[in-house]
Amino acid sequence: MLEYGLFYIAATVALISSLLAITRYNVSHALIYLIVSLLASAVIFYVLGAPFAAALEVLIYAGAIMVLFVFVIMMLNLGATGDVQAHLLLRPRMWLFPALLCLVLFAEIVYVLLSSERLLSGMVVTPKTVGIALFGPWVLAVEIASMLLLAGLVGAYHLGRRYLKDSREGATSSPEAAP
Amino acid sequence: MTTGLTGTDLLALSPFITLTGVILVLMMAIAFARHLGLTCLIAALGLLVTLANILWVAIFVDPQLVTPLIIVDPYALLFSGLIVIASFFICLLAYNYHQQRGGHQEEFTLLLLLATLGGVTLAHSAHFGSFILGLELLGISLYAMISYPTQGLLSLEAALKYLILSGVSSAFILFGIAFLFATTGTLSFAEMADANINPTAVQGGVQGGVQGSVQGSESLRLYMLIGGSMILAGVGFKLSLVPFHMWTPDVYEGAPAPTTAFLATVSKGGIFAVLLRFFVSVDGYQYQTILDGLFWVALLSIFLGNLLAVMQSNIKRLLAYSSIAHLGYLMVAFLAAAEIGGRQLAIEASLVFLIAYFTTTVGAFGVVCIMSRKLAARDTDQLPDYEGLFWNRPLLAAFFAAMLLSLAGIPLTLGFIGKFYIFAVAVDSELWALLVAVIIGSAIGLFYYLRVIFTMTKRSSVTEGIAIPKAGGWSLVAVTLILIGLGVYPAPVIEWVSAIARTIS
Repeated sequence: MLEYGLFYIAATVALISSLLAITRYNVSHALIYLIVSLLASAVIFYVLGAPFAAALEVLIYAGAIMVLFVFVIMMLNLGATGDVQAHLLLRPRMWLFPALLCLVLFAEIVYVLLSSERLLSGMVVTPKTVGIALFGPWVLAVEIASMLLLAGLVGAYHLGRRYLKDSREGATSSPEAAP
Repeated sequence: MTTGLTGTDLLALSPFITLTGVILVLMMAIAFARHLGLTCLIAALGLLVTLANILWVAIFVDPQLVTPLIIVDPYALLFSGLIVIASFFICLLAYNYHQQRGGHQEEFTLLLLLATLGGVTLAHSAHFGSFILGLELLGISLYAMISYPTQGLLSLEAALKYLILSGVSSAFILFGIAFLFATTGTLSFAEMADANINPTAVQGGVQGGVQGSVQGSESLRLYMLIGGSMILAGVGFKLSLVPFHMWTPDVYEGAPAPTTAFLATVSKGGIFAVLLRFFVSVDGYQYQTILDGLFWVALLSIFLGNLLAVMQSNIKRLLAYSSIAHLGYLMVAFLAAAEIGGRQLAIEASLVFLIAYFTTTVGAFGVVCIMSRKLAARDTDQLPDYEGLFWNRPLLAAFFAAMLLSLAGIPLTLGFIGKFYIFAVAVDSELWALLVAVIIGSAIGLFYYLRVIFTMTKRSSVTEGIAIPKAGGWSLVAVTLILIGLGVYPAPVIEWVSAIARTIS
C-alpha cells in the first residue's frame, strides 16, 4: 500500500510541474518546472524498482536540460537585459514553488532510503540487467539508435553551418529570397 | 533470449549491414574529399548493392525473426526493396538538383541513406521498439533534409512545421503504445496478438451474460481501443490522412524537390508497411469503432484531397493534395482487409497500389527536380512555369504526362493497375460508399491532372533553355519504362505480390 502512496505523491508532483511547464509564459520558469517534472519521473522510476533508469533520468534529462538552459542564456548574449532577467529569476516568488515540489521529492527519497523495510515494488532492475538486455535481444536497437544519433549529428552540423554562411552572405541571398 | 546473433541471423540481416556499411563509407568519403559526384556515385552503387543483397536474402534465406525486433520475411523484403529502389532514383535526381547549387551539398546524400535505413527498419519491424526507432531515424533525417537548401525561408518554415507536427504525432504513438503495453505487457506484435485473442474469446461471452469475469476484459478492450486509436492518429499524421493532413501542402511546397519525392514515397510506404503488419498480426480489425473511424478518414481523404487539389496553381501543392487522395484510396484497400475472406486480395491490392504510387510519385517529383536545377529562392513549381514544355522539351513533358496520367489511373500505366485493384477489393468487400468516393475522386482527379498537361501544351517560351541532365534524365527514362512496362504487362509483379500477400494474411 505504501509504495502506491509514494508513487502517487511523485506522480502528482510530476503532473503539477508538467502542467506548469506548459502554461508558464516565461521560458526560464517553464524550464525549471520541466526539470522538476523530470526529477519527479526519476523518483517514480526509483520507486518502481529501476534505480538505473532513475539515475539516467537525472543525469541525462535533468542534467542536459540544465546545461542546455545555461547554453541558451550564454548564446543569446543578452547583456544588460540578461542581468535584469537573472535578478528577476532570483526573486523568491520564482523559485519558491519549484523548490517546494523538489522538497517533496527529496523527502520521499530520504524516506525510502532510510526505511528499513523494502518499499520498492516490482522487480529491481540493476544496471547489469540493463546491460545484458542491451547487448542481448536489444543489440539491434542499440545499433539503429547509433545511426539515429548520426542522423541528428549530420543534420545539426549541416544546419548550423548553413546558418553562419547565410549571415555572412545575407546581402546577396536575401533579396532573392524575398519574392 | 540473451544469446547473441548467430550466423544465420547475420545473413538475414545482411541488407541492414550493407546499408549501414555504405553509410559509414560515405561518411568517411565526405570527411576526406568533398565531391558531390563521388558522393552520389558511392551512394547509388551502395543502394544497388543493398538491393542485390535484399534479392539474395529473399531467395536464399528462410523467413525468420532476428531478435524480437526485426523480422525478415518476403513482405518486409518487398517493402525494403521498394524503398531502396526509390532512394536510388531519388539519389540520382538529387545529384542533378544539387549540382548547380554550390555550397556543401554532400550531406544530403548521407541523410538520404540514413532515412532509407529508417524506412527499411520500419518495413522489417515486428516490435514497437524497432518501430519507434525506425520512425525517428526517418523523421530526424527528414527534418534536416527538408530544411537542407540555401534557398530562402520557405524550407525552414516547412521543416519547423514538420518537426513540431511529427513530434506531436510521435508523442501520440508513444502514448498509444504505453496503453497497449499496459494492457498486454509486451511490445512485440506477435505476443500482443496472443494477448489480444483472449479478450475476443470473452467478448463472445458478453451476450451470454457472464458479467463478472467480463468486467476486466471489457476494460482491457477499452484500453486496447484507446491505445490503437492513438497510434492510428499518430500514423495518420505521418501518412497525411485527412483530419491530420494540414502540414502536407506546406511541407511539400517548402521542401526541396528530392526531399519531397522521398517524403511522399519512402516515409509513407515504410509507415504503411508497419501499420498493415501490426493490424493484420494483432487483428486490429475486430474493433468496429476503429473501422468506423478509418472509414471516415478514407472517405474524407479522398474527397478533400481531390477537391483541394483542383484549386492549386502550384505543382508541388497539387501533388501534395493528390497524395492525400491517393493515401485515401490506399486506406480503402486497408479497410477491405477487415474481412478474413478478402484479406489476401486486399493486401495484394495495397501492395500493388503502393508499387504504382512509388513509381509515379518518384517520376512526377523527378520532373520537378529537373525543372528546378537553377539556384533560386524556390523550386520551379508554379503552373505557368511549365507552359510550353511539350514544344520546348518534348521528352521531359512526355515523362511528366505519363506520370500524371498514371496518377489519374489511365490504362497502360501502372497507376491504372493500382486503381483497378482498389476498385476490385472495394467491390469484393462490398464497401459501396467508399467505391463511389473512389470513382468521384478519380473523376475530379482527371480534371486537375489534365489541366497540368494542357498547361504544358500551351505555346510559350518560358521553358526554353531547360537542360535535361544525364543522371536524372536516365532515371526518369527508367521510371517511365517501369511505369509503362508494368502497366502493359503486370502479370509477373502481380504473381509475385500475390505470393507475398499469401504469406502475410
